[in-house]
Amino acid sequence: MAFPYYPKMNLIYSLIVSLVWFLSTYFNVVFLLALLSRKDELLKFPKLKGNQELPKVSIIVPAYNEESTIEQSIASLNKIDYPKDKLEIIIVNDGSRDNTGKIVNGLKGRSILFIDNKDNKGKAARLNQGIEESTGELIACMDADSEVQSDILKKTTPYFRNKKIGAVTVTVEVKDAKNFLQKIVAVEYAIGLSLFLKVLSYFSAVHVTPGPFSIYKKEVLEKIGRFDTKSIVEDLEIAYRLQKGGYRIACCIATKVRTITPETFKSLHKQRKRWYSGAIYTIIKHRNVVLNSKIGYFSYIVPYVFLLIFLGLFLFAFSVYLGVYHLIRSISFFSLTNFNFLSYMTLNKFDFLTLSTLSFFGITAIATTILSMYICMKLSSIKIKKNLAGVVGFPFIFFLYQIFWASSILAVILRKKVGWK
Amino acid sequence: MKKRTLFLTGLLITSILFITILFFNNLANNQREKAVLDRMNSVVGEYENMQTLIFMSEIFGQDSTCVGLQSTLSTMDKGLWDLGIKIDLYRQVTENFMHDPFYVEQKTEFNRKEVLYFAMLKKMKDMCAINQTIVSYFYKKKEECPDCDAQSFVLADIKRDLENINKENELAIFSFDTDLGLSSINLLARVYNVTSYPSIVVGNATYSGLHNKKETINILCREKKLSIC
Repeated sequence: MAFPYYPKMNLIYSLIVSLVWFLSTYFNVVFLLALLSRKDELLKFPKLKGNQELPKVSIIVPAYNEESTIEQSIASLNKIDYPKDKLEIIIVNDGSRDNTGKIVNGLKGRSILFIDNKDNKGKAARLNQGIEESTGELIACMDADSEVQSDILKKTTPYFRNKKIGAVTVTVEVKDAKNFLQKIVAVEYAIGLSLFLKVLSYFSAVHVTPGPFSIYKKEVLEKIGRFDTKSIVEDLEIAYRLQKGGYRIACCIATKVRTITPETFKSLHKQRKRWYSGAIYTIIKHRNVVLNSKIGYFSYIVPYVFLLIFLGLFLFAFSVYLGVYHLIRSISFFSLTNFNFLSYMTLNKFDFLTLSTLSFFGITAIATTILSMYICMKLSSIKIKKNLAGVVGFPFIFFLYQIFWASSILAVILRKKVGWK
Repeated sequence: MKKRTLFLTGLLITSILFITILFFNNLANNQREKAVLDRMNSVVGEYENMQTLIFMSEIFGQDSTCVGLQSTLSTMDKGLWDLGIKIDLYRQVTENFMHDPFYVEQKTEFNRKEVLYFAMLKKMKDMCAINQTIVSYFYKKKEECPDCDAQSFVLADIKRDLENINKENELAIFSFDTDLGLSSINLLARVYNVTSYPSIVVGNATYSGLHNKKETINILCREKKLSIC
């Protein structure tokens, strides 16, 4: 047979399955324990004190070809419950070729500062330009395709009373999930960009300050050198530098930002390729964070997750290989019997004892994933009945992850240019 | 819960889960071994019963014992066939983690029983005019015989077809693993001039190489007309 197969493969495969099972189950269990042990504190946030003077906040919104969403984004900013004299909105056009500029010009009037650049320099550069022009003590960065909840500043700014806090993230929710893919991503965000980050914040190990909305202390941004204009994942890269600088990233899930998500597999693949290859470049750039006890749990959790991702990917590729091998073998066997499936099916009755150790690992892995999902759904704003399609489809995202990670690793190895466009 | 305690509790829970899986697997292994041994004992019982009947036929004459022998033969034939399948299936399930000597021992024992049963059946066939086609199938491990698994699959499929129409007694298939180094199997291979694998022997003719279902049925039907011919 053209497909090389060696009996030792079974043993290697079984060992990898056991290892991945152990590492992923451990991760899952610790995540759930952390979540459940602090579930009463999930929606809590430091309250504003009556006599406390509110810090001035500058919200920077870089925009590139956002004519379809920017109006709603600005409308949501205008509804923010925060003293007008303490709020500054800066829209930075990044050389849009559509009507973004015209729309913003038509809307301004309220304290909006519009920087209308004609050239395209990228999101990080425009954020830095906004920071340069800002006068606030706190800098909120927001995507032009996102909408914030009106209480977002009153719930996030009190975190900065703690001098160690360098940034605060909020729950990221998917706006108008229409198709199946978007509904799955909505569940992914509800868990990954909300509860997961909240749990990571307990360990001071938040690895990203999501682009749709995150708020930073300006002084800290200046100290760490603002956003990296070379990075394709500036929101992830800056989180690494915040951690390295000894600043904590808090996560407030009591308020949220709603953002759009790709509609098609192709566009989702493009987005994830940027995220994941950006993550690889970032860990390579900041490799000195790995197992660096001075940084704390972040330096252990990040490499642990990367290890799990790479082992998972290897296991996935191995499974596909063995699956294809057995499929070809079965087809060649059945071709000898004129594909006599019927007698094979009727007389090969299920025998519980034919379940191998690997089956037990598989069954428990599925069970713990479903349990984690159920607990997360119960604790998050996602309602199972209302989002049934997304909940049912969510486990399949793990297969998509493998494809996205594989293509991202390939892009990094081949040094292919991955960007926004 | 303190962070350190949390990580340690997580490790404890994961380890308990892991050990539980291994425990269940061990439990299942014991059940598998018990199932194989039970079937093996049942086959041994049938074999002893058959020996008694043969002995009796020599004393009391064939007519009175052939009916009993035929019934014992069909039970033993099915028992052996099922036992062979179970040993192979359970061996596959456990070989992911270890090369379990239990299955190698049972496979050897099974092959010994097969040779005995084969010899007895040959004798009975003439004595009691048993209307059954006997197939001896000689194979080696996958690495040395890439087509052997495929030939096993074809033979099992033919047997299943006969089971589907309740005519499984028309065909007795003996699978001989020539890697076990049993002198009786080596002798049989020499008798039937088996030099390459897979090989099937029907009557006194040896057919080497992989044969698909149609070709195999043609070979079987040359010997005697089966219900699937």
